[in-house]
Amino acid sequence: MIDIQIDAWRAWAPGIDADAAWRDWASAPRALIDSGQQPSCAFIPAMQRRRLSRLARITMDVAWPLCADDEQLPFVFASRHGETPRTFALLEDIGRDQPLSPTQFGLSVHNAIAGQWSILRGQKGESVALAGEGDTFEHAMLEAAALLHEGAPSALVVMAEEQPAEALRSWIDDVPFSYAVALRVSLPDASSSATRWRLSLHANDADARPGAWPNALDFLRALHDPHAPVQHAWRSRQWKWHRLP
Amino acid sequence: MTDLERDIAQLIIDTLNLEETTVADIPADLPLFGQGLGLDSVDALELALALQNVYGIKLAADSRDARQHFATVGNMARFVEAQRLPCND
Repeated sequence: MIDIQIDAWRAWAPGIDADAAWRDWASAPRALIDSGQQPSCAFIPAMQRRRLSRLARITMDVAWPLCADDEQLPFVFASRHGETPRTFALLEDIGRDQPLSPTQFGLSVHNAIAGQWSILRGQKGESVALAGEGDTFEHAMLEAAALLHEGAPSALVVMAEEQPAEALRSWIDDVPFSYAVALRVSLPDASSSATRWRLSLHANDADARPGAWPNALDFLRALHDPHAPVQHAWRSRQWKWHRLP
Repeated sequence: MTDLERDIAQLIIDTLNLEETTVADIPADLPLFGQGLGLDSVDALELALALQNVYGIKLAADSRDARQHFATVGNMARFVEAQRLPCND
């Protein structure tokens, strides 16, 4: 069980990035059309932007404003599928007997985006790249809580997924559209006006099924609606999010 | 700029995803690496691959002249020309 405070959040999905648009989505969630659009990340100089993948851009777009220029924040990057589209493109090249792009190859590893974040933002502290199962989001929050208990005053968590390559879609069924959610978190402080949450893990005795929306986006709905119960089932695990008074 | 130089400048822009750069921003004598356009060693590998794919030119990994061939768009064009000639016979 962990208690954690959400000091700020940002999210991106195709066609949705403003707070008002997320409020609308939270009250009536719907599948979004993902036609490969991506944030411009115009705040990053073009020469530094050139190697950012779509997933990296989406991550930078949500995370960037949550970290001040003179601040060091532990960074938790979480993605179940990571750079699957990039990896698939590399496999296609191998299949066609084409030489691999050194850039694509070098940046196909799971911690590449965390590394790019560290370079672009001058971050010298801890960074973690996680890939879990359908409840990767909860594991990322657990990881952030661990970093806070180690002494970090705040931490930054990004949960990001990109729509998989067409050929992989019959296997990957938990990414309805590309999205990223960034959460700036700290240990609960009752004098703050931020929302505080308790995350607890239970056995999935009732054999509950995963919900219709990715856990991070479902949690985002709960941030908008104080009364929404949040329970995320995955195999033998049942995660319960409970808003602290 | 020659047609080949323009083609190579565009190849650099496309290969390296230089969003806000145009062919006019890369004159034939602009140093591509370090001061100048600001490319780095990973870009050099990427460009070597692009030359191979587009012009069929294979650079030996231990080529001592590579640094010179890749210094500017003008040098790259001269290098491509020199490599192409034998194949056009």
